[in-house]
Amino acid sequence: MGSRVSREIGHDEYDPWGTLSLIVVYFVALTLMWLFTYFVEFVGNTPTVMGMIVPVMLG
Amino acid sequence: MRIHQYEKLWIVGAMILIVGFIVTITYGSVGLGITMIGDEEETIAPDELNDDEQFGEPRVEQVGENEYAAYVVAQTFIFQPDPIEIPANNEITFHVTSRDVIHGFYVPGTNINAMAIPGQVAELTVEFDEPGEHGLICHEYCGSGHHTMEGLIVVQPEDEFDLTELSAETPDTVTSGEQVQLNATVENGQLEPLETTVDAEIGDQTFQQNITVDGNSTQDVTFTAESTQLGVGEHDWTVTVDDYEETGSVEVVSNETAAAEGGEES
Ligand SMILES: [Cu+2]
Repeated sequence: MGSRVSREIGHDEYDPWGTLSLIVVYFVALTLMWLFTYFVEFVGNTPTVMGMIVPVMLG
Repeated sequence: MRIHQYEKLWIVGAMILIVGFIVTITYGSVGLGITMIGDEEETIAPDELNDDEQFGEPRVEQVGENEYAAYVVAQTFIFQPDPIEIPANNEITFHVTSRDVIHGFYVPGTNINAMAIPGQVAELTVEFDEPGEHGLICHEYCGSGHHTMEGLIVVQPEDEFDLTELSAETPDTVTSGEQVQLNATVENGQLEPLETTVDAEIGDQTFQQNITVDGNSTQDVTFTAESTQLGVGEHDWTVTVDDYEETGSVEVVSNETAAAEGGEES
């Protein structure tokens, strides 16, 4: 880095809180989208094909 | 290896998400009973459908208490039967196959979605909670008339649904002096016996008879009118059972006319 001023920090001093908050936002969006697609769009779209799970597993 | 605090956080978060996905899918299949249409179903040759006990006459039949089976044949460019009449709040198992090419079996707005494949029988069990009408469309391109291929599913209120069928007939002509016989057949496709009343009318004469038709069987009822009382001429007749009605007409011909025509039998 030549003559530029640089500072060395330790492992735990590194604090990328911006990246963390972005990822938190991703997680929340993912969770909401999952709940919406599964419980509202899929399960709410009745009637749904029902049956015993046993033949599916045995089949 | 030292892992940064934040990295630990999103590794754990990702694990929770994956476990959450698995938990909801498991809840769906175990808790709600949602299933997929499997590949373990029976097979049937498309050119033998007419000889098949079920698909030879596509229909809805009762197979148990609150359980019905619907046998559906898709072919260019219709579904049979049409409409498919089923009761609400009962388990309906559709058995769907194709007579010719690959068709689709899709009820828009629901998760009822299957392929109708020649040679295979798709089996899917559903339950409609509300009475009403649902369109049924073919969503696999099957030929020039594909866009017109549709059917209808009529979900009837549970207490109004029946599998009763009425047919009736009389001879076309009866010689005056002989009896006019009206034969009615009441079919009960349900498992419980059907107690009902048959009302009949021949000309201006009325008849009534209470009958009990056992489950999955038919009962014949015969009404007899004297042709001399009816008089020579055309007489309309009607048979009614519950909401079903059959009509027709019978002609009483005078002795002389019958003799002139060669004394034909009634
Ligand atoms: Cu089609």
